[in-house]
Amino acid sequence: MIGRIRSQAIDTSRFLTDWMEHRTGIVTMMEHFLYEPVPKRGAWLYTLGSATLFCISLQFLTGILLLFYYVPTTDHAWDSIYYIMEEAYFGTLIRGIHYWSANFLLVFIGLHMAQVFFSGGYKAPRELNWVVGVVLLLLVIVLAFTGYLLRWDQDGFWASVVGMKIGSYSPFVGGATIHFLLGGDVTGPATLSRFFAIHVWLLPAALAPFIGIHLYLLRKHGVFGSEFEYSDRLAKLHERQRLELYESYEENGHEEIGETNLGRRNREERDRRE
Amino acid sequence: MAELQKDPMTRGDFLGFGILGTIVGAILTIPPAAFVLAPIIDVDILGKSDVPEGPDDWFEVGPIAEITEEEPKFFKVDFPVEQIYAEPKVQEESGISKEEFVVESALWVSWRTEILGDGTYGQSYRPSFLDNYDGGTLTEEQVQEAQENLNVLSSSCAHLGCPVRWILREGEGELLCPCHGGIYNINGEYVAGPPPRDLYRYTHEVREDGKLYVRHEFDVGGENGPQEPYVI
Ligand code: FES
Repeated sequence: MIGRIRSQAIDTSRFLTDWMEHRTGIVTMMEHFLYEPVPKRGAWLYTLGSATLFCISLQFLTGILLLFYYVPTTDHAWDSIYYIMEEAYFGTLIRGIHYWSANFLLVFIGLHMAQVFFSGGYKAPRELNWVVGVVLLLLVIVLAFTGYLLRWDQDGFWASVVGMKIGSYSPFVGGATIHFLLGGDVTGPATLSRFFAIHVWLLPAALAPFIGIHLYLLRKHGVFGSEFEYSDRLAKLHERQRLELYESYEENGHEEIGETNLGRRNREERDRRE
Repeated sequence: MAELQKDPMTRGDFLGFGILGTIVGAILTIPPAAFVLAPIIDVDILGKSDVPEGPDDWFEVGPIAEITEEEPKFFKVDFPVEQIYAEPKVQEESGISKEEFVVESALWVSWRTEILGDGTYGQSYRPSFLDNYDGGTLTEEQVQEAQENLNVLSSSCAHLGCPVRWILREGEGELLCPCHGGIYNINGEYVAGPPPRDLYRYTHEVREDGKLYVRHEFDVGGENGPQEPYVI
């Protein structure tokens, strides 16, 4: 009984994945994105990029949640964060994740960059991916800077003032830079609105496509070789898996393994025969 | 390449595309750019300020008699700001939002003090009539004397704008910036650290009622050191 249910479940899921694969090619795509043969030595180092991506995803998710309560006005910004921290269900947790993952994000980016730098991963043909990565780094830094002011407490306020004034020393465009950020010539309600718009819409919208390009270029060249070598290796991996499957089939004489490998049409024929 | 040239672009086409492209491009980019860059247009090009400027825009600081010889006194002035939602006309007509938005500005006000060669403080120029001043009306000379000898300093450090505070060390006081350790003396003059100039001074006025008034205006540029940073 249980065996039948199981084989039926396997059939159904196979049917569904096949169906999706034929129409979208999603399975192959996932395979390309998720499987990467990595040398055993130092394998943990290759997770730094994924860690960065994970933190950025967390930022997006918790940021969306925080927006349900945050009010970007000078008289309510601090209060609304206080509300999130004290009253909202799991507010401390969600804002805590946003805060800590922002910090770890920068740590991971630093480590990720160091790893790529010291392993020479930026060399041809991957130079552009390094460039895109640096753009991402700058975007994240500005995101961190603009997020700081949104708390509208003494800490964030003065840090932002100092940051903006550092910008005001830039040659030729110093005045324009700081007046653009301030939304005028003094820190006021316009400043908070601008930082909010930049932090919540402008930069995330800019970040997303660059992440896409970064991942695309990564997959194009692979971490250890070109796309060609990569699919080569993937093919070998599949070959080995198939051999192992046959081996176990021969050893156990297990029927189900053989059956699940039948295509949908074959299964139907089989059912009809029965 | 060969296929591309099948339908060659004539000079007229090129010009037409160029002109059309410029017009469409301008229509597409100018409105959003001006929308977002409004502060640059207002402040840098038109020279406007968010703090209302005009002959009547004097703000009361406090009685000058309270300022002692030895140390600067701290005052707070709230300058109203007209930025986005503080549009005065709307506030007036709706009658709902009575609250004005203000820039809370901190001021250090001290009497001019002689600085000796080794940096210690000498004689203070605090007007002697203040010693037994009872709050009455000041004469013109007294107003003049007080006004000339006051240092009305913005607490915003001339480096990157952190608020400076008065610190006593070995009997001598100094205005110390917490951010990067910029130091100014009692007159607000640069002593040490990264700041490129002295503390900013407000345009000020002493009136006959014995009180100090300021405008949101500073000694920027010219002989008084670099213009930057642009915001105080
Ligand atoms: S802000 Fe005062 S020393 Fe840098």
